[in-house]
Amino acid sequence: MRRSTSQAIIAVTLILLATGLLVLSLSGHLAPLQGLILHPLSGVQSWIALRVAATRELLFSPRDIASLREEIARLESEVTRLQQEIISLREQAAEAEILAALLDYARAQPESSYKAANVIGQDVSPFLRSIWINAGSDTGFSRGMPVITQRGLVGRIVEVFPTMARVQLITDPEASVNVKLQQSRTDGLLAPQLNGELWVDLIDQTATVSQGELVLTSGLGGKYPTDIPVGQILNVRRRDYELFQQAVIQPSVDFDDIDIVLVITNFHPLPLEHSAP
Amino acid sequence: MIVYLIAVPLLALLAVIQSTILSHLELFEGRPDLILLAVVGWSLAGRAEEAMVWGMIGGLFLDLLSGLPFGSSAIALILVAFLVSLSEGRFWEAHLLMPLGVTLVASLTFHILGMGAVLLTGRALDPSLALTRVILPSTFLNLVLALPTSQLAEGLRDRLFPPEVEI
Repeated sequence: MRRSTSQAIIAVTLILLATGLLVLSLSGHLAPLQGLILHPLSGVQSWIALRVAATRELLFSPRDIASLREEIARLESEVTRLQQEIISLREQAAEAEILAALLDYARAQPESSYKAANVIGQDVSPFLRSIWINAGSDTGFSRGMPVITQRGLVGRIVEVFPTMARVQLITDPEASVNVKLQQSRTDGLLAPQLNGELWVDLIDQTATVSQGELVLTSGLGGKYPTDIPVGQILNVRRRDYELFQQAVIQPSVDFDDIDIVLVITNFHPLPLEHSAP
Repeated sequence: MIVYLIAVPLLALLAVIQSTILSHLELFEGRPDLILLAVVGWSLAGRAEEAMVWGMIGGLFLDLLSGLPFGSSAIALILVAFLVSLSEGRFWEAHLLMPLGVTLVASLTFHILGMGAVLLTGRALDPSLALTRVILPSTFLNLVLALPTSQLAEGLRDRLFPPEVEI
């Protein structure tokens, strides 16, 4: 009985302490401390993320499995150190390939300034769709900066620490992106669904929307630059009694397979809402 | 004291693994919760008071790597550790399947509290989708790992605090 009472006292004390930290964090007083703790964590996270990416590349890419088998046969007599070096070089080559594609994209959009960052993790809460990148305010990143890959829009930075930043994906139900449909020249609003689907809502009833049509950012609202690819129309839902039509889209970016992103650093978005976590 | 010297780096590492590796090992959108398993395992190993502190430390590491309000996971994990501590001294304590039952309750409690934190921040969340796509798959994965974690925690306890033997 005495033990359970002391356990209850410990629990209540710890909960009060955590609540105090929660209040301090909400008032913004803990940000420097969080940045300080995240500094070593981001190093460990980058180290692990790079190795996880290399392992995934080896395990899940058929091209790599085939070439890996050849290499294993050829390198059987080599020492373990050399094998590790090959894996490391391989990862660097894949990274260079991605960077080259990103560079091509950046060259095609000379009006924007870009900085590249590695994706080092996802939000640990399964209820939030966001990723962590290995650069933050020390690199010049700030809240609201749009994040892209060579394929299209990824999201925008919603939380910044000195050495890392959190990017809210456009698939997060809290994200809203003003978009336009390339062929039908009509506007809409990207409405991520809770089940992970991406919808474009508020499309004018009179617009003729076709399957496969490209969806781009419209720039309305000042959150994102214009003309960044978001996805392609998969199917359209149109009902005569509704004010607007909706469309399901296939995002341009494979959000499960992002290793490197570009942050547009010279775009000044309108201030983020205070409600955004 | 040595427990906390081990716990801080261990829990930090588990949080990083949760963010980097487990995000690729999803069942629907559910993932095993390593820190929850560590807290439950340590509590079941008879170190309930320490498990509550582990819950706080581990929860804070999780909150650092999450968009959830800082401290919310810590509160949830302290409550989970406290709930697990209530099973101490009950007649079913020594039952072989005890870790499974406790993990089931702990996992559901942790995720329901997490869902509550999301709703409190004013974010949209469909409880039925969250239940089927996140909570139940995560709970299943936690149950799969419950017995090995429990064994690991007992092994660590015996190494740190060897049982006294009367000669």
